[in-house]
Amino acid sequence: MKGPIFNGAIILVGVFVFLKFLLPLFTAPLPASLIYLYVALALSGIMIFGTMSASSLEAFMGPIYRFLSGKGQSGVGQMARLAVLVLFPLLVGWQTYTKLAPSDLPPAENRTIHPAPPGEFVGLSNPYPKVPENIMMGKGLYAAYCSPCHGANFDGKGPAAPGFNPPPANFSDPGTIAQLQESYLFWRIKKGGVGLPVEGMPWKSAMPRWEEELSDEFIWKIIMGEYDGAHQSPRTWEEEE
Amino acid sequence: MLNSLTFLRTVPLLVLLGTVNVALGLANEPPPAEETGSVSLRLYQVEGSVPSDDPNSAVWSSIEGSEFKLAPQVHWPPRIQEVTVKSVKVKGVHNGQELAILVEYNDPTEDPADGAALEFMVGDKQAHFAHGQEMLQVEGGPVNIWFWKKETGNALDMSAKGFKNLKTQEKQNVQAKGVWENGTWKVVFSRSLITEDEQDVQIQPGEWRSVAFAFWDGAIVDGLVKEKGSQKAVSSWWYIRAEPSADNSIYVWVLFGLALAAAFELVIVRKLRKGQSA
Repeated sequence: MKGPIFNGAIILVGVFVFLKFLLPLFTAPLPASLIYLYVALALSGIMIFGTMSASSLEAFMGPIYRFLSGKGQSGVGQMARLAVLVLFPLLVGWQTYTKLAPSDLPPAENRTIHPAPPGEFVGLSNPYPKVPENIMMGKGLYAAYCSPCHGANFDGKGPAAPGFNPPPANFSDPGTIAQLQESYLFWRIKKGGVGLPVEGMPWKSAMPRWEEELSDEFIWKIIMGEYDGAHQSPRTWEEEE
Repeated sequence: MLNSLTFLRTVPLLVLLGTVNVALGLANEPPPAEETGSVSLRLYQVEGSVPSDDPNSAVWSSIEGSEFKLAPQVHWPPRIQEVTVKSVKVKGVHNGQELAILVEYNDPTEDPADGAALEFMVGDKQAHFAHGQEMLQVEGGPVNIWFWKKETGNALDMSAKGFKNLKTQEKQNVQAKGVWENGTWKVVFSRSLITEDEQDVQIQPGEWRSVAFAFWDGAIVDGLVKEKGSQKAVSSWWYIRAEPSADNSIYVWVLFGLALAAAFELVIVRKLRKGQSA
């Protein structure tokens, strides 16, 4: 059982085992589509290598041709050939079925969680100084207007939160407000869910359009209170001290 | 040298590549189970009439339902912070002509002001779940609302595009019947899948539509109705689809694929045998 095909098979299995089972021990698991891509690339490489010259082509393809033609085979070889010849059409049939079978899965949705804000909101800075009085006032306003959904602990787990889709943002998660500038929060609070662009799926968000109820001053102070309470800092372009 | 790489000779390699694809496809794990409730509602196809006036029909216990979580309406004032109905079980059937949707939810008391509503996007434009209110960067579409109230005993067929534009339609196409028992409301809404009215959602079997829910607990607390108007339990959009009729043409295509693959093999094997004996 030696030869280029056997070697190629060993390499393929090795690549698959490495990507599927060994790599996840050190890093995040790869998606199946990526594993397929890598295995297909490895297979292409093996095939190019195996068919580079007439002699390597014969060494690589010869056994496959002889196997498929069935000449001079007996016993196990014959059975294996028969199995391959029967299984291949069945696989094609199965593939056809899975591609055509009606799916009960709803359409896939790709919601962009932090879409780009409109130009007029880019680069605004908080006009109110970060002094304890302003932060305290911001926290008080937050408690009154925001905490029912975003939670008294700034964790997105307010009493009104269960049942929302998408769920209220968790500000203590380093992936939310810590990744954003204050001007971004100002936009999202002022315009609410209905202010989102199409990729943000504005038709699903329950975030109110607070500009109809709160002054800009209140919104800026809420932002201050939010960062302070969630123990996060806004993203800035300036160098940190 | 390259001449020997004829199309025919690459076929086994393609087969190999395809087999790897299939094998990896079969090895894929199913997506993780949804922990937050259902994402879609399936209207099962049934024979005969749909149980449009019977919330306790045996048909309902013969099918699977979906469960959707509900939240207090906080999107626009007057808001509410806590609501009675926290989740709803929903089941649906259709017979190719009519549909019936059963909503089942807990409400400890039966009150005249109790209410339930289904909301649908109409047409192809996305509509905001809050009555199709205006969105600032996206041109939204209208919504169709089916509103049942205990004290009227039937459903109103309504339209909205924005808060101030909620109106009862001229053509009423929806029926509803509610039964309260042991702290549970069961309300069946029914309608034709397709209507003549362009203000209505049209439910074509096989097509995905968007649905949202709202419930009011009309209990009297301190002399006032607990939940009314915008003070209600709501959901955002979820998917709904009327099951399409079984399509048997798929099996013809499977057989066709099978036959094609077998014929392909036959040609290859014959060519190989000829080539080797030559």
